[in-house]
Amino acid sequence: MVALARKTLIYEWRRFLPAMLAVGFAGLLQLLQIALVLGIFGSTSLYITGSSADIWIGYPGTQSVGSGRTIDADVESHVLMDPAVQRVEPYIWVDGDWRGPAETGGVSVFVSGIDPSADGLMFSKALPADLRARLAEPDAVVVDRSVLDQLGVSIGETATINGHQVRVVGISSGLRALGGVNVLCSLDTARRLDDDPADAGPTYLVAKLRDPGQADAVAARLRGDTAFGPYTTWSAKDFAKISVRYWLFDTGAGAGVLFLAGIVFLVGAVITSQTLIAAVNGSVREYATLNALGVGVGALRKVVLEQAFWVGALGLLGAGLLGLVLMLLARSQDVPVVLTVPAAVACILLVMGLAAVSGLAAMRALRRADPATLLR
Amino acid sequence: MPTATAAAQIHAPALLAEGISKAFMSGDQRTQVLDGLTLSLDAGELTLISGPSGCGKSTLLAILSGLQKVDSGRVQALGSELGQLDLRALERFRLQHTGFVFQGFNLFPALSAFEQVELPLNHMGLSRNEARRRAQQSLEEVGLAHRMRLRPSELSGGEKQRVAIARALAKEPELLFADEPTSALDAANGQMIIDILHRIARTHGTTVLCVSHDPRLVVHADRVLAMEDGRILSDRRPAAPAASDQEIPS
Ligand SMILES: Nc1ncnc2c1ncn2[C@@H]1O[C@H](COP(=O)(O)OP(=O)(O)O)[C@@H](O)[C@H]1O
Ligand SMILES: [Mg+2]
Repeated sequence: MVALARKTLIYEWRRFLPAMLAVGFAGLLQLLQIALVLGIFGSTSLYITGSSADIWIGYPGTQSVGSGRTIDADVESHVLMDPAVQRVEPYIWVDGDWRGPAETGGVSVFVSGIDPSADGLMFSKALPADLRARLAEPDAVVVDRSVLDQLGVSIGETATINGHQVRVVGISSGLRALGGVNVLCSLDTARRLDDDPADAGPTYLVAKLRDPGQADAVAARLRGDTAFGPYTTWSAKDFAKISVRYWLFDTGAGAGVLFLAGIVFLVGAVITSQTLIAAVNGSVREYATLNALGVGVGALRKVVLEQAFWVGALGLLGAGLLGLVLMLLARSQDVPVVLTVPAAVACILLVMGLAAVSGLAAMRALRRADPATLLR
Repeated sequence: MPTATAAAQIHAPALLAEGISKAFMSGDQRTQVLDGLTLSLDAGELTLISGPSGCGKSTLLAILSGLQKVDSGRVQALGSELGQLDLRALERFRLQHTGFVFQGFNLFPALSAFEQVELPLNHMGLSRNEARRRAQQSLEEVGLAHRMRLRPSELSGGEKQRVAIARALAKEPELLFADEPTSALDAANGQMIIDILHRIARTHGTTVLCVSHDPRLVVHADRVLAMEDGRILSDRRPAAPAASDQEIPS
């Protein structure tokens, strides 16, 4: 077979360049947008994904980790009685007001009070062991590298949270929060920092199971009891999903993503289809000649579609390479970007869908390839 | 009587048009382009239709080749009633039986001469090797064996038209239609094109129908139909021997 579509694309690449650029930019925009949104909103479930707990126990109806309310401390012993549970520890969330040594004004911080023992579950994947050990000292806190300027401190310095003095004993990385700053401390320190007298118990209890595969079943089993006041349970996976979904949809960010995806698709498809139509128009006499010689309209349409496919594939390749470079750059600057397989697949589908729609639009231009018009 | 039918088919003309009429509407203006025209062409001849511009030559060619429908009358090509074929069947008929050469060469800028000729053959269900053999042979026949790898931008006008002829010829069609094939070329190149068309008619037994307003081509045709205002005025066979001994430079 003579590869008409490909040879034309290569020989007349200048003609097809706008389409490839349009497709490439559409793909790149979409890719970066999804990676940023996933990166930013992924940090809202860091408390869950950065910890090794299989089950979370908290106040019923909690939408995200930051909006929990205290539960009865006695739930802990009840949970421990379940034979599937290996370890339970409290997790205390305190909203705090940070005053640093430098003139920064008040900064809103999210205080996470965790068990500083070596086998503690909270932040076990995000916090190095030596930093965790240092939290055992009274009033010791760890903050993220990226917020040092914002907090106006460096390691060894003191500041106050809710009027209580704390001392920065360590700097971690990868603990960025959304809408505030994460501050890690021990459970004891967190209790001291909490100035709300209504808060008696922990905000959450987190549990490790002997068999993590049973998380859903155990969570369901522990949910039924009401003897200790209101509380409910989630498997860690479910709670992370609830948390991310809350941020995506209740903040309108998800709608924004979809809206921009629609705009990108529309603009990309208009430019791409116009370019492909111009390419068809440029060869319309040649296509008409092939049709006069008996080559069917279907075969000619396939040529146009194949061109659209190659435009999409090449644009995607460019977007992928450039996107990779930009994401690595973002990572090196502590900009949270995350790309998951489903997100990448969504990008590919969007771009190839765009190319396909443009190809279908360009196929209509073949109607002008009527061989009778060659005879005048 | 099977023998009688067989005999009738042998003598049936390759192309037969009976009482064909065609009019075009442009706005309220109705132009009668063909008016009850009857015509029959035999196989293996080069027939030239000549006449002034706008007299309906191209329209007649489009109708005889199945590219346009008639208003009334009928066209029979190789025993098929073209009026009874739908769009698909017409495409298939053209694929199997017809070749075209147009005034513009209509070659794809991206393809080499060889690929231009091979491309339509790919759609005829030929094997890859057979398609290549035919492409090679046709290009040799029009004297372009040494220029097969060149793209249209590297070929002269005469060479481009020879590629277009090879593209039609490689299909080994029974019917070959040419609309003003020489009018974009100078005299020498035009001469060469008409010689090639004539030779195709004689050596392949192809029915070649060539339309031109160029009076210089008349001497090269087996049969000349003079047309005016949608009607055929005269039908004659020039006695002068066609300049067929001339060598094609290669
Ligand atoms: N598709 C069309 N629509 C309207 N008028 C047409 C069309 N095709 C041809 N004509 C008219 O028919 C007449 C004959 O055209 P044509 O067959 O191309 O003449 P020739 O090839 O002899 O120069 C011309 O007057 C032309 O304007
Ligand atoms: Mg004409």
